[in-house]
Amino acid sequence: MKKLGNTCKENVAALKGILTSEDILVFAFETQDGAACAAIYADGITDKALLGEQVARPLSREKTPKTAQEAAKILQAPETKTETDPLKIADEVLAGNTALLIDGVAEAVIIGMKKLSMRAIMEPPGAIAVKGPREGFIEDLKTNMSLVRNRLRTPKLQFKTLTAGKQSKTAIAVGYLDGIADEEIVKKIVDKIECIEIDGIPDSSYVAKFLAERPNSLFKPTGTTEKPDVLAAKMLEGRVAILVDGSPIALTLPYLLVEDFQGAQDYFVSPYRASISRLLRFFGVFVSVFLPAMYVAAQLFKLQILPLSFLLTISGSVQGIPLSPSLELFFLLLVLEILIEASVRMPKYVALALSVIGALVLGDTAVKAGLVSSSAIIIMALSGISAYTVPDLVGTTSILRLAFVVVAGSIGTFGVLLMTALVLYYLVTADAYGVPLLAPFSPLIRRDLKDSLLKTSMYGLDKRPKVLQSKNKTRLRNKGGKVNHGKN
Amino acid sequence: MERIKVRQLCFYFVAMMPVAKLLVYPATLTYQSKNDLLLSAFVNCLAEGAIVALVMLLAKKSGKSLFALLENTFGNITAKIVYGVFALFFFASALLPFMEHKNFVLQVMYENVPSIISFAPFFFVCFFACVKGFKSIGRMADISLPIFIVAFAVLILLAFPHADFAALLPLQGASAGEVLRGSLFSANWYTEAAFLLFFLGHFEYEKRASVKVIASYAIGSAAVLLFLAVFYGVFSDIAIRQQNAVAQISKYTTSFTSLGRVDYLFIFAIALVMIFRLCVPAQMCVHCLCKSFGCKPMLPAAAVNILLLALTVFFNYSFLELQTLFTQRLWFLFALFAYALPAAALLLKRRGAHE
Amino acid sequence: MNKLWTSIFLTAAAVLLLLFFSNDFGLIDIQETAIVVAIGIDTAEEGEGYDVTAQIAVPSSTGSGSAGNVTVKNAQTVGEAISELNHETGWYPTLVHCKLILLGEAVTETDVFRVLDYFLRNDAVEDSCLVAACAGTARETLQAQSPVNDISASAIAKVLSSEAQETGLVSVTILKDFAIGYYSVGKSGFLPYISVQGEAESQGGGGAAPTAEIDAAEECAWLPSLKRNRWWKPKRQPLPIAAPVSSESGSQGGADSGASGKSGSADVFQASETMLFYEGKQVALLSPEETLAYNLAATDTDFAYGSVTAEQDGQETVYNLKMKIGKKKRSLTFENGMPVFTFTVRANARLADTDRASAILEVAKTQIADDAILRAAEKKFEQELSSAISKAAAAGCDLFGIKQRLYRYRYREYAAFQDSVLTAAQVHYDIRFTSLK
Repeated sequence: MKKLGNTCKENVAALKGILTSEDILVFAFETQDGAACAAIYADGITDKALLGEQVARPLSREKTPKTAQEAAKILQAPETKTETDPLKIADEVLAGNTALLIDGVAEAVIIGMKKLSMRAIMEPPGAIAVKGPREGFIEDLKTNMSLVRNRLRTPKLQFKTLTAGKQSKTAIAVGYLDGIADEEIVKKIVDKIECIEIDGIPDSSYVAKFLAERPNSLFKPTGTTEKPDVLAAKMLEGRVAILVDGSPIALTLPYLLVEDFQGAQDYFVSPYRASISRLLRFFGVFVSVFLPAMYVAAQLFKLQILPLSFLLTISGSVQGIPLSPSLELFFLLLVLEILIEASVRMPKYVALALSVIGALVLGDTAVKAGLVSSSAIIIMALSGISAYTVPDLVGTTSILRLAFVVVAGSIGTFGVLLMTALVLYYLVTADAYGVPLLAPFSPLIRRDLKDSLLKTSMYGLDKRPKVLQSKNKTRLRNKGGKVNHGKN
Repeated sequence: MERIKVRQLCFYFVAMMPVAKLLVYPATLTYQSKNDLLLSAFVNCLAEGAIVALVMLLAKKSGKSLFALLENTFGNITAKIVYGVFALFFFASALLPFMEHKNFVLQVMYENVPSIISFAPFFFVCFFACVKGFKSIGRMADISLPIFIVAFAVLILLAFPHADFAALLPLQGASAGEVLRGSLFSANWYTEAAFLLFFLGHFEYEKRASVKVIASYAIGSAAVLLFLAVFYGVFSDIAIRQQNAVAQISKYTTSFTSLGRVDYLFIFAIALVMIFRLCVPAQMCVHCLCKSFGCKPMLPAAAVNILLLALTVFFNYSFLELQTLFTQRLWFLFALFAYALPAAALLLKRRGAHE
Repeated sequence: MNKLWTSIFLTAAAVLLLLFFSNDFGLIDIQETAIVVAIGIDTAEEGEGYDVTAQIAVPSSTGSGSAGNVTVKNAQTVGEAISELNHETGWYPTLVHCKLILLGEAVTETDVFRVLDYFLRNDAVEDSCLVAACAGTARETLQAQSPVNDISASAIAKVLSSEAQETGLVSVTILKDFAIGYYSVGKSGFLPYISVQGEAESQGGGGAAPTAEIDAAEECAWLPSLKRNRWWKPKRQPLPIAAPVSSESGSQGGADSGASGKSGSADVFQASETMLFYEGKQVALLSPEETLAYNLAATDTDFAYGSVTAEQDGQETVYNLKMKIGKKKRSLTFENGMPVFTFTVRANARLADTDRASAILEVAKTQIADDAILRAAEKKFEQELSSAISKAAAAGCDLFGIKQRLYRYRYREYAAFQDSVLTAAQVHYDIRFTSLK
């Protein structure tokens, strides 16, 4: 593309030829000695007050600058740069910046003047903490970066800003702590993002898919968080953060499955409470996945697993039920998924009415009508509720649960074991970015077990996780009690 | 894909090695050695332990794989042939455990014995495992250890109150010939030294690795001997009938509780570890075939597992004959491949002509 | 590679779904499963073979206890009877929860393992089930109605529970232990001997144990059941299910189902006698006192109540003692080339009751038993134990494991004494009862 010319009129025409939309406006004014100037901006995402204050007013009081650098010095804007390529200038305008064109200057001055309507920083709904910070990321990348910067006030915090998406030109920031994160992983992530060729990136989950080493895996490819304190903590462990403009969900790599069992609050309460919570979460996921399958397998294939009195109760309750135990539970789980899906989407004003119907459908009425048995409903309810002890894994858990029920209903208890073995074989060999997914259990890393299913006290976590292969291994030097007058 | 750690080897010997001997082996050993079954098993454990020690000594002296050692000594073609022969051995040594496990599964996990189609999906899992290589064996050992320890401990604790250890008396109640026969005819259950031989070169020998591995082997063997003792203490004169020993010993404590057979949970946990252990000979076979033919594991894994499935179906009604063949007629082959050849590996040249 | 794995997984998923929805690979539908909780075996009333009675637990939504009995007559083997059960009723009997095997008196006169080895061969039946012999026929015993409305198998199981074993009043054995005894060098064993005694009338409530005989079609109340997946296999005969409970009908509810139990009366199970076996045949019967002595000396019984008569102040008084066994040991030694079997028992006894009114001071000192009472208790214990040993020895039953001990601990002498040790062994008793002082 032809570069900018010397006349303001020509340059404006060139840019308007690229930015044809009616919301791209041109603010024309003159310098003190009558040279034409034009500020091109996108209406709605540019701070027009600043435009007048920092651009028009100073220039109109000065003589015409000879170069773009001279013009930048006159302006009172902190973020300025120069550009000659009209396409890049157009990108900057579309990003919310203002392009200043001056007669006689063959460069445009790009001034940072973005002003978007954004929501306030608030606690993310999916990560409520009783104790601990309540901040959450929002959709603006710069704000999110600032939230992280606010927590890691070290010069070692580095952000590499990239762009992805041919049409959306979404800004992506890769953040890491220099000297702590593995540089090879950073490079690998940057390379992968730079190779993205897609029209648009509406959310960080798209980036996650591109970063995944196993894009078709049932399990998450990256860690996710909506909280800056969690992200900062993960970066301090040696992980790399990926922030995507337009998405409040930050990604972290490398990802370990055990991360999802670690809640932010675990680090703010006593280690005993944290350990119990983690064990409960693990138990919850275990129950959610295996309980329906074992119930089906026991009824269909191995009655001996059930105690006699319970067996008689179940046998009595399934008298007259038209469906087999496996089909019964399968459809109940399906109904559960439908209810969950509907409750997310339903308007608030009908939520109450629909929840009553849902309760009636699955509750007493269905049992009394002889469509399902009460024991199956209890199993389904327990399983459904237990899955939400680890909300990040709910998607995976529901699919696994259905798969296990199908396997249990077709092959039986041995099928459940085989499926477990298959999933385990998959997980133990699913390394990503050089880090095993099931670490620190497989391979066993004793040091990292201190912060896995059980959590030791803060003093026990003096070293960074060994699995992340950080060069700087120590994170806690002084365990308190002695004042350290030495260097940090 | 082919690296394994010393720690994982140790876990393998503690957790995965014993599970193969918890099904038919106790009853079969009782048939041969009667109440002196511990003696027969001890002889086997001692012999295999010695071979494990020798293999670790070889690992200490040379960090090379068996293939490299064979290549140094006999050349590339011979090395491939040896690997091919071992592939056959591993294939054969996988068959009987598969049949045992099939019987265990069909009898213990189902009310009425279903068709073999209920066991067939196992071969898919085995195929998947074969494709994944040695790394999966090591990592599964990491997972198996806590599962095995908890499940085994619970089952033994549940069985203990009902075990009359005096049933193991009198010592030398069985003749020396019977004890020796019991040891020899159990050779097919003691093939771990052969697996270790093929792990050579795939793990980094660290300080005191030999001690750790031998100690782990000793712990695993102790677990087997303990199980045999408890098994015979519980069943004594009817022990010969208990084909799926691990599923039988603990039921006498749980049968009369209101919770019913809670021991099944732990039996299933052991069965899970058994699945991992069962895949190991097939994984070894595939590894040998890949080395012999210089190919990727997908095709050999598929071929091996399809063949194993076919043979399992073919021998579905001939388990006793197959067992008699393998244990009483072909025991010397197992002794050769699992004891003699690993010991003889010490004689291989550690340095090639070009070094 | 990914496409291949995707295809493999999709194929596997399709196959699984086919299996799942077709649901017919040897599965037994729970609605068509008869959960057998007890098996009774009698010699055939007419002709040869066996009459096998299966007590089938009837499911209800509250899990309450009621059961139906089904008898298959003239079966050549137990296995044939079980198959016949399936064939005639259309219900698949599952024996995994069978907790009791009851042998009729006539069956015990021949080698009981002719019938019991079915259960040893069958992997579905747990050898942890209780085994007992009964007076009369097992069928009638299983038809008895427990006063607490338990099904009879549960009532018998309670009588034979481990708690009961610990009181020494019953000798409990499971199939495994009985089989071990049969196949051991002693070839011996014992079974509790159950007799049914009628008690007071029950005060209403159903829970009757209706019986349906295969060769007599009875009309029974049965719940409607929707056929599911098995429409091509209609049930031939519905499972007899107890009629709804009502306070007026009482045991009349049972009559609707063809019950043949005693109308309006409840039965109590007694199991304080023990039947001894040698080579599978019954050879002797221990009285309740002998049973108690045996349990105190040789089994897991830790404490028991027993009565003893002692002279106190010139009067014969019956004392009921609570005995806590501290130590019990049996040993086989050789003296002068002859086997000597020694019982060593140390027990602590306290007075639980007497047959006369006692002074308040005596009541306060109930934990202290006089020497005379203790000596009388020792003497009685020794007498009963001696009687039990003699009975067993005369019948050839190695009840106390003397022969087994000879085999295990004195193997060198085993060859010489294996056939005669039961009669040749001298029995010594080292029994000491103590009390608090």
